[in-house]
Amino acid sequence: MEKQNQPGLEKQDQRTSELTNSLQQKLDYLTTLRQAITAGDDRLIYELIDGDHYHQALLNEEPNPARNAQVDLITDVHPAISHYLSTKLIDYLAHEYPFFYYEEIQPGEFQIYFGNWWDRRRFGKLNVLNVAFEFSQEEFNKLQQTFELAMAHKRYNTDNIQKVSAANDELQKLIDAQDDRDAEKDQLRQQLKENGQRNSLFDSGRIKEERQQIIDQLTKLADADEQANNAHATMKDNEAKILSLSKEDTILAYEKQAIETSFKSFENFNERNRSLYVDYLTTLIGKAQVAADGE
Amino acid sequence: MANETNKIDAATLSTHGKLAMFNEGLKKGLANGEKFTALMDQLIDTTDAEALLAAAQKLADFKLDSAYVTFPHQYKNADYYLIFMSRLLSMHQDEQATLKTRAHSEALYHVFDAISDDYTFLYQVVDGENGGAYYREQTTGENLFYIHLERRLLRFNSTAFTNLFINKLLLKGADVAQINTVLATLINFGHDLQDDFGFNVDFNILDVNNAARYELRQTNLDGEVLDKLFVLAAEHDYMLRNSPNGHGAEIELPGALVIDVFDAGTPENAKWVLTVRDTEQRVSWFDVLLHFDFMRDWYLNNIEALEIKADPLVFA
Repeated sequence: MEKQNQPGLEKQDQRTSELTNSLQQKLDYLTTLRQAITAGDDRLIYELIDGDHYHQALLNEEPNPARNAQVDLITDVHPAISHYLSTKLIDYLAHEYPFFYYEEIQPGEFQIYFGNWWDRRRFGKLNVLNVAFEFSQEEFNKLQQTFELAMAHKRYNTDNIQKVSAANDELQKLIDAQDDRDAEKDQLRQQLKENGQRNSLFDSGRIKEERQQIIDQLTKLADADEQANNAHATMKDNEAKILSLSKEDTILAYEKQAIETSFKSFENFNERNRSLYVDYLTTLIGKAQVAADGE
Repeated sequence: MANETNKIDAATLSTHGKLAMFNEGLKKGLANGEKFTALMDQLIDTTDAEALLAAAQKLADFKLDSAYVTFPHQYKNADYYLIFMSRLLSMHQDEQATLKTRAHSEALYHVFDAISDDYTFLYQVVDGENGGAYYREQTTGENLFYIHLERRLLRFNSTAFTNLFINKLLLKGADVAQINTVLATLINFGHDLQDDFGFNVDFNILDVNNAARYELRQTNLDGEVLDKLFVLAAEHDYMLRNSPNGHGAEIELPGALVIDVFDAGTPENAKWVLTVRDTEQRVSWFDVLLHFDFMRDWYLNNIEALEIKADPLVFA
């Protein structure tokens, strides 16, 4: 049996050498990555962790999954690599996006804060390995609407605030009208009394009807009284609502202002976000160039 | 009681004995009066600060009348505090507080040239064990500070300063310069007591020291109160920032003036405080209230949370 297998030996050797080659490639990949990290060559690290993206984005080459043959080797150390790469990236971003602040909530995972003002918003995450912002969709949409509404000279919550304010004005009127209602009630009660004293055999239907009308009016006034009694609590709730809406408007105004200061327009901001990977890697290449030229 | 006992005793005495006792009583009463006038001399004429304080301290508790000798013209004990204050200030060349006498009586009071004569200031002695006296504005009844000469302590009261100088004066048209003149004298008094006698002085809302932490009435400050400042500040082109360290907020005002509001307590026990920092250490929280309308509006509209605590032992 074994002898019959003899012809296969060559094939076996070939497979073995393929295996050792493949392992060697992995070793080379890891060695290069290790050296890049030791040398602080962030550009090379980016090329190694996602070579296909790197070649397409920076060298305008066609997609080729083969470039990423080894990348699965390091998925378990992604957080550590992300942590490592974040230092230089955040330095760069601090300059380009001076209004973003980052908090490393877990190793290699960065939360974005927008601004340094009171109760600034959490705006999403920074994906260090992809050099990309992953904005919270909800927060981003608010900001986008803020820019859109600004053209109509409105703030994000202008309409809402107006609505709640109007409700409060109504309640205030209801409270203010208490004296009028009290006078009206007195008058109606008097009418009711007079109505009760009238007694006509022929007109009883009309008297009954009149009586019902008076009672309906009194009920309506009692409802208004009750609403007025509860108005203070509602008004206080509404004031809290207005405060929180105004606060959000203030925050959004600061965000808008920050973007305009750094990027002139929201469109420019979005464009820059899209080209962030290329921009950053180009800077790294430029730096490497300068360093090489200097030697 | 003592009087009654004397009478009973006198009934059993000889005439000579009665006369001698009467005379003894007079002598003691007169000696008491002499002692009083000596202290008065000391209080109004001495140029030695310690002698001044000693005279004021004794006069503040002095009982001039005795069983045999009473004096129809007298000042009240509280008045000696006023005289002491005026003399100490004038020894330090501050003549802003004018000491006045009421017509046809011996009652004294202070007025300040810088503000209306309607506002008169005098001391109100505290009855009971604690002793000491409050410096009070008469028409408003505001106790601006508490002083205890023996224990050598002085405590300013934020509530009274806010009510009198902001609610009564500033918001009714007095200008800041006028108010500052009065404040300066009251602050000088505190410094004089500190420098000359080593008084323990709590300047409270008037403290200009950067390290001063003004404690807020609401120890666990409601976030909404800061939200309100955030919105209000933005309307006035100032930005309330997230506190760089710890839980809180800060705002920078012109003149490199930084106001911090933060929790200086422990995770279990919140203690929100306010600080005012400026390079020269010349600005107190009260100065901020006088000069920045929106900060004042914020403080007054949220006074139940923000009010600066004064020494609870004397301003309960």
